[in-house]
Amino acid sequence: MALTNDQKLKLFRNLVRAMTLDQMMMRLIRTGRLVGFYHEGGVALAPSVAAGTFLEKTDPSWPHLRGHGIAHILSRGIDPKTYFAEHMGREAGCCKGRSSFHMSFPDFHIWGASGNIGANFPISVGLAFAAKHRTTGQIVMNCSGDGSYAEGRAHEAMLMAANWSLPIVFWCENNLMSQHSALADVFPGERISVLAPGYGIPADVIDGQDLFACGEAALKAIAHTRSGKGPYMVECVTVRCHEHSVGSVNKAGTQQRAPELMAKWRHDLDPAKLAAKRLIEDGVATEEQITEIWAETAKEPAEIEAFCEQSPRATPPIEDLVTAVYAA
Amino acid sequence: MTELREISLLEAIKEAYREEMQRDDNVYLLGISIQAGTFPHTTGLCEEFGPSRVVDAPLAESGMIGCAFGSALQGMRPIVDFMYAGFAYYCGSEVFLQAGHFHFMHGSTFPVPMTMVGTCGLGRRVANEHATLPYGALIHHPGIKVCMPSTPYDAKGLMKSAIRDNNPVFFLWHIGTIALKGHVPTEEYVVPLGLADVKRQGRDVTVLTSGVQVHNCLTVAEKLKGEIDVEIIDARSFEPFDRDTLLTSIEKTSRLVIVDEDYERGGFAAEVTAQVMEHGYDLLDAPVKRVCHPHMPIPGGYMEAYTTPTPERIEAGIRDVCR
Repeated sequence: MALTNDQKLKLFRNLVRAMTLDQMMMRLIRTGRLVGFYHEGGVALAPSVAAGTFLEKTDPSWPHLRGHGIAHILSRGIDPKTYFAEHMGREAGCCKGRSSFHMSFPDFHIWGASGNIGANFPISVGLAFAAKHRTTGQIVMNCSGDGSYAEGRAHEAMLMAANWSLPIVFWCENNLMSQHSALADVFPGERISVLAPGYGIPADVIDGQDLFACGEAALKAIAHTRSGKGPYMVECVTVRCHEHSVGSVNKAGTQQRAPELMAKWRHDLDPAKLAAKRLIEDGVATEEQITEIWAETAKEPAEIEAFCEQSPRATPPIEDLVTAVYAA
Repeated sequence: MTELREISLLEAIKEAYREEMQRDDNVYLLGISIQAGTFPHTTGLCEEFGPSRVVDAPLAESGMIGCAFGSALQGMRPIVDFMYAGFAYYCGSEVFLQAGHFHFMHGSTFPVPMTMVGTCGLGRRVANEHATLPYGALIHHPGIKVCMPSTPYDAKGLMKSAIRDNNPVFFLWHIGTIALKGHVPTEEYVVPLGLADVKRQGRDVTVLTSGVQVHNCLTVAEKLKGEIDVEIIDARSFEPFDRDTLLTSIEKTSRLVIVDEDYERGGFAAEVTAQVMEHGYDLLDAPVKRVCHPHMPIPGGYMEAYTTPTPERIEAGIRDVCR
């Protein structure tokens, strides 16, 4: 589905913000400001931005761990500052500082997250089951990486979604790495989406560095699921030019991944640079406008940081915590 | 006017299902072969409520509980039936790390109202996977409420409470109670979670138990009548657990036997024993005695008959603390 110029600019702004805030997270963790871990998004954030940009406010979505889903939520119009506060263990955190890295934005039907990779799949089935059962018109955007498709629950979810014709987009951000293993070593074949036809689910394979291709794919998948035709799969092929989580090894099995190649990818495959070039070539934006978008975005980290810093560290008494386990 | 009628424990569960499904459109059933009815508590419900509310799931426990879980987040009130409670172990992550933790981990801002159902217990000689009683493991993990009835009355009342609760509740029923009949009023009632029931009054020793073992303990108590006066408490609910009722009883009897068909190691009996040490040590005149399944896999075949807490083992346990 062709994108309008407004849609292209919206995607681009979201990507610039996502990449800016990704590097903000990198700065925070490297200076010891985060309480937990961080998994850099790097140049793999074009699919993440595309997954969120065209959703309705009430569409449930499950962000991917890469870049901790910041791209997925800000592209939905969610202010990510409480999520940063969560990462910094603050009272203002979206989970009251209890989780280190979980998100919760109930107003946008993002209920929570999990540290167990693949936990999203069955829950997405339920979110979509409720949407279909109550004919709300919602669709579910289920984002995850290639590694998660090895979990049995991914297959259970695809089976159930197909069988019940549920409105789920299986949005796979395939960076060809499953933690410290090359996808080729843990999966038979190069494309995760080869699974989809087995369940009768239509699938597209997209260049994950091409922001606008990702955006078009998202529009198509959303329209398909929203029209009641059942689940759809999109596989965005991208790269990971850094370690899995900040500070861990960057190896594939026993092999060190070449630093020169990582640097080359980071430079050559930068989706914001590629998108900016296209916007200028196609006459959608001028260089000055692109520069302005970057300059405007550059102000956001300081605002977020100030918000987090004014909030105290969350250290409530145990009595308050043990009484918060059950809902009334 | 109360109609005096007796129905089976599974008919009582079905009545709870039917009444709650009539009461709230958000209540639906999801499970493996529940339309046909592997056990009679779901038979006929699909004909009455349709396949969109009595849903047959594929053999995919993680997918099944996830479906319940996700729909609960969206405001539905799913009842997910694992058939055998041991089958819930397929989805340990969902049961132990997600369902019960989700509310707290995300700031205690929204409820997760879902009911999980499964049968458990020894008696069919079909061994560990079908017989395992998961309440010891369940109460170890915060956030999930757990109950098991011993009578049809309690079954209906507890199930209604489970469905209406705003938290994940695992409702267990013991396979040995499948055909048990008892009085169930036609009027609306609930049995609250977290309320134990004194099933028999006595002065000499308190026996805390649950499920089918309530009936074994009642048999033993009758046998010991005139010699040892046994008080029997049916826990009914393992989480929340009604410690007050237990301590009140021990205050009178000063002796405690816990009959628990689950594995002895680190289970409900061990937990209650520790709580009694912490909150009621001075009330005891003898050490707490546990009569549990030994720390070994539940066997199938004929040996099952003596690894379970039998009336003989229960009697020996009672005599042990009453010496």
